[in-house]
Amino acid sequence: MSRFDRDERRLGWLLCAPAVLAMLLVTAYPIGYAVWLSLHRYDLRFPDRQSFVGLANYASVLTSEVWWRSVFNTLLVTAGSVAVELLLGFVLALVMHRALVGRIAVRTASLVPYAIITVVAALGWRFAFDPTTGFVNALLGIDQAWLSERWSAFFVIVATEIWKTTPFVALLLLAGLTLVPPDLIRAARVDGATAWQRLRYITLPLMKPAILVALLFRTLDAFRIFDTIYVQTHGAQDTESVSILAYQALIARLNLGLGSAVSVLIFIGTLLIALFYVRLFGSGVLGRAGGRR
Amino acid sequence: MSGTPVETQGSLSERLFWRFTVLVLVLYALLPVAWLTSLSLKPSGDLTDRHFFPRAISLEHYAAVLTDPQFPAALGNSLGIGLIATGISVALATLAAYAIVRLRFPGRRAVLIGALAVAMFPPIAVIGPLFDLWRLLGLFDTWLGLILPYISLTLPLAIWTIAAFFREIPWELEQAARVDGATRMQAFRLVILPLVAPGVFASAILVFIFAWNDFLFAAALTSTTDSRTVPVAIAFFTGSSRFDQPTGSIAAASVLVTLPVVALVLAFQRRIVAGLTAGAVKG
Amino acid sequence: MPVPSARIYLILILLALSLQGCRRASEAEGPPTLGWYVFKEQSGAFEQAAEYCSNRSQGRYRLELEYLPTDADLQRELLVRRLAAGDRDIDLIGMDVIWTAEFAEAGWILPWPDDRADRVREERIAGPLASGSYQGRLWAAPFTTNTQLLWYRTDRVSAPPPTWDAMIDAAESIGRGGLIQAQGERYEGLTVFFVSLLASAGGSVLDESGRRVSLETAPTRRALEVMRRLARSPASDPSLASRREDQCRLAFESGNSAFMLNYTYVWPSARANAPEVAEHMGWARWPGVDPSRASRVTVGGINLGVGAHGRHPDLAFEAAECLVSEENQRLAARLGGLPPTLSALYDDPEIRDVFPFAEVLRATLADAVQRPRTPLYSDISIAISRTLHPLNEIDPERDVERLRQAVRRALNSEGLL
Repeated sequence: MSRFDRDERRLGWLLCAPAVLAMLLVTAYPIGYAVWLSLHRYDLRFPDRQSFVGLANYASVLTSEVWWRSVFNTLLVTAGSVAVELLLGFVLALVMHRALVGRIAVRTASLVPYAIITVVAALGWRFAFDPTTGFVNALLGIDQAWLSERWSAFFVIVATEIWKTTPFVALLLLAGLTLVPPDLIRAARVDGATAWQRLRYITLPLMKPAILVALLFRTLDAFRIFDTIYVQTHGAQDTESVSILAYQALIARLNLGLGSAVSVLIFIGTLLIALFYVRLFGSGVLGRAGGRR
Repeated sequence: MSGTPVETQGSLSERLFWRFTVLVLVLYALLPVAWLTSLSLKPSGDLTDRHFFPRAISLEHYAAVLTDPQFPAALGNSLGIGLIATGISVALATLAAYAIVRLRFPGRRAVLIGALAVAMFPPIAVIGPLFDLWRLLGLFDTWLGLILPYISLTLPLAIWTIAAFFREIPWELEQAARVDGATRMQAFRLVILPLVAPGVFASAILVFIFAWNDFLFAAALTSTTDSRTVPVAIAFFTGSSRFDQPTGSIAAASVLVTLPVVALVLAFQRRIVAGLTAGAVKG
Repeated sequence: MPVPSARIYLILILLALSLQGCRRASEAEGPPTLGWYVFKEQSGAFEQAAEYCSNRSQGRYRLELEYLPTDADLQRELLVRRLAAGDRDIDLIGMDVIWTAEFAEAGWILPWPDDRADRVREERIAGPLASGSYQGRLWAAPFTTNTQLLWYRTDRVSAPPPTWDAMIDAAESIGRGGLIQAQGERYEGLTVFFVSLLASAGGSVLDESGRRVSLETAPTRRALEVMRRLARSPASDPSLASRREDQCRLAFESGNSAFMLNYTYVWPSARANAPEVAEHMGWARWPGVDPSRASRVTVGGINLGVGAHGRHPDLAFEAAECLVSEENQRLAARLGGLPPTLSALYDDPEIRDVFPFAEVLRATLADAVQRPRTPLYSDISIAISRTLHPLNEIDPERDVERLRQAVRRALNSEGLL
């Protein structure tokens, strides 16, 4: 190995080291600590009663109906919001791609939801659906306490999520859409292909990578939903997500042992989702999936 | 965006359809912002009138929010914490991205994939341990206590976007500079950095938005005006009484924190769009 | 490049560390400031009390109010996190009665010294006093108290019903305008409702030690039967399942109800917002479950605890003792309508003016029941309210055992609930 190579290698490691260390500091080390905590009875309300309990915390989480209900809720919100976002995002992307007049307006406007603090968006929608302050009931001429009932509360939560993140999906899809050669579309048109056929057999296959990336990131993102639910229902009416559940155990009740068991399970759930996508679409999806928190 | 917009070739009805869609989409995107603005301008007595538009305009909620000690402090904390975290994160990411794109060394891909793994990481999983650590280290309810996680969790975003911009740089320029006798550092500083600056700036905006937006860490790791940030301050706003939700004040505070960031995003929308999609498709 | 970049890291690290250092400058000269953490009381009674005590200390301390969020759960969440983090700025805490055991067990508050505790106990009503005590010691001094009474329409009911069954019968016979307003939403208030019913039937949630489930079969079943009957009666409000105290108040003020179980704040509220209802508003002791046994109702209110990590515990105790003194009790009653914890005040004409129902209030408080006194109260409360909600689906046979299970799990710190 030449001196130059060695220098370059050392420099490369040196330049990456701080970033890598910083990333490990707040992920690898704490997740290790979380695993350790999850094997202990560690409740800050009983500082004197800490002990090793093996997998007891996991057992009590996994046998709790509250946990499974929150898993169901989380998957429900994830599936509901991701599906609609994908559909709506595609429409939005098509509009941004095709509309001549107002294309800039759409792109500009669609960045607004992205730039708004999630908590603020959630509050905005909460006030809108609130029976005493909101305009929604007045507009529809009904008297519905949206956030006091389970399914209507889910509706508001999912609507908020969709509103907030559709633009991001649209931008990703738009990037994929621009990769479709317009000549191909034009040729198909000349050959008499209908709009649906053009979409189905040309546009969609070529956009597959972009769709996968959007799907992967939105799924993971929706799976950790927290802000919206915390602000809108605080988990009441059986709308708890797994993250809300973990937060309640960890921060509201300071039961770090039990809460950490939930955290570790969420972590495993995230891994499973990522693995699922990799299995389904090949590891190429990871290579393309940069540029996203 | 390449190619002729297809619209020019469509029929009149098709054109009308697209225009109508554009209008609907713009309204949809702006609806909650308009609603919060309208709510914030309603006089206290009208807050429950359930009208979308205010019947009378009043600035009382803005006055209330700005004179309340909670909100201005939170604004300062959010700006300070966000800017410092952004500065450090982007600086570290630039170094790493340079190395990844420009240098040959084993582990480059590992860094990228590792960053991706961190990007997928569920933050709730580390809240408990961080709370326990921070309270032992005295970092609970401090700026540093939030800056550290923000740096770590935004690094993946920053590294991937900046690396994507680095890939587009004509590296012959650097080589030319080196041939002319510049050191690696000089070449980086004088030739590369100016070229990549727009990309770095774009990812800085994205990183700042992440920090500005975060609720989970701020809710768990802060508790007073010493370090409480805007999202938490708004969510935990104390009303004037036990039973009264300070809707007007919350709306006013929301508008105040939304407008600057929206302005920032709109001013730099091209770069942000580039940053958001960088790497996602080009890979 | 390696050398300069190393320098950059150093600068960044130093920058970060210096941020940590410049936090919280040293306190200004003058008397020590004591932070009193309490919910924001509208009338300004707490501010005035703080000022009164600061002045009376003659410069030994200055009380400063720090407001907690509006929501009671949020208040606790915020405090608990700071206390667990060893926050030194928390000197005095306006504690909800249900926090006593938890805060004491965790070592977040200090027990009252004997001499001071004795002075605080003098003349206090039993119920509120017990709410600030845990395992034989006083941990928080009773500041203001509260409990529910039965509110009824004198124009629709001739005499207040003595029991729940009598009340439901009466309400059903009234028909229109005969609704009963109670708290049936799935939240802590539902637990309060259940605890009052259970105690009135002669039962308790936990045994004396506070470590084992009690929930005796007969009284528990009785309490569940009452809840079920109420929820299934045409006299129950259709929105019972989502009713909290304030929704009950609003409904009663709208005039559609004949009975309401609620705290005393509904009285000044009705007089201000619905004078035509207030005119016909009567009060009585909470209905019993058995005709032979007087009802026992859950006590609420605010007690003052002294933070364990504060810098000036002695001064904090002194200030707390001043805050719960007669003058401030009177102030809180007059300005804020908050019932006092000193028995003698209930004979005071000025106080009787604020609380025309003073006699029944004091009697209720004197044999009030405590919510389960355990550090795990919040878990137990969630377990109970989750098991019982919605009230119309209660099956007394089955649910006694389900309730025991749920509470047992919560006690073992097992349930996720």
